Amino acid sequence: MKKKHLSCKEIAKHICGELDEHIDSPKCREIKRHMEACPNCTAYLDSLKKTVRLYREYPNPTVTEQCRKELFAVLELGKQKSR
Amino acid sequence: MKYPQHILPTEELALVKKAQAGDDRAFTQLVKQYENLVYSFAFKVCRDKEKAEETWQDTFVNVYRKLHQFDGKSKFTTWLYSIVTNNCRMKRRKTKLETASIHIDKPHSAYDHDEADDTGTTALTVPAWRDTPLDKMMNAELKSKLDAAIQKLPYDYRVVFVLRDVEGQSAEETGKILKLTVPAVKSRLRRARVFLREQLNEYMTA
Repeated sequence: MKKKHLSCKEIAKHICGELDEHIDSPKCREIKRHMEACPNCTAYLDSLKKTVRLYREYPNPTVTEQCRKELFAVLELGKQKSR
Repeated sequence: MKYPQHILPTEELALVKKAQAGDDRAFTQLVKQYENLVYSFAFKVCRDKEKAEETWQDTFVNVYRKLHQFDGKSKFTTWLYSIVTNNCRMKRRKTKLETASIHIDKPHSAYDHDEADDTGTTALTVPAWRDTPLDKMMNAELKSKLDAAIQKLPYDYRVVFVLRDVEGQSAEETGKILKLTVPAVKSRLRRARVFLREQLNEYMTA
């Protein structure tokens, strides 16, 4: 039986799903071979990785003292009460 | 209540037990330990400082009232994340933001129109993204692009993306938090990544 090669679309589907996982199956080895020869898939994978990294590097604000004070006031922490 | 040792480290276990017994100092300590985890996760999902603050407060009020229900069968963070996601979901219902989201059942992709020909040759149709180190690119304009892109992503996909790719939770933990199967988590994550990439593509290749 003639071996069916993966299309770029199939490659994209798999690399999207496996970005964060170790790939060592026969199908994934074919993906790696394809990636080495396909500038489109290489550019696409790189852009997906950058998408994830951008969101990881987005700086997040931290809790303010005011927030904390309001929470403790709502819960009446420090006062005698029954929960 | 008995907890499996592998789920909770000894110190945390003692703190949770004390807080469950009504020790307010222990509860205050728990808040301090997890306040930034809860706040930063709420912000990443809501993308709005005011909503994140409300979610943060609602979450700890729920934790205070429901701490006795925590049975130690899951990680404490898994339990916390599930409370935050429920609060975010309820807040979205109240503000009817669900209707503003678009469907991504069939996300657009650079690959929808691109196939290799019979000789295996492909034209270069996927433009490369900028090579500037990402941390040096992070300015107000890019932040606003990132906010706008993720706010277009439907909540059910957004929360999976944030838990898996930003918070670094495993597919299994994400499934437990959201009551989803692992294949469902992976499917939503894949769609979310593709959708966000498409949203940022023009800016990142300009």
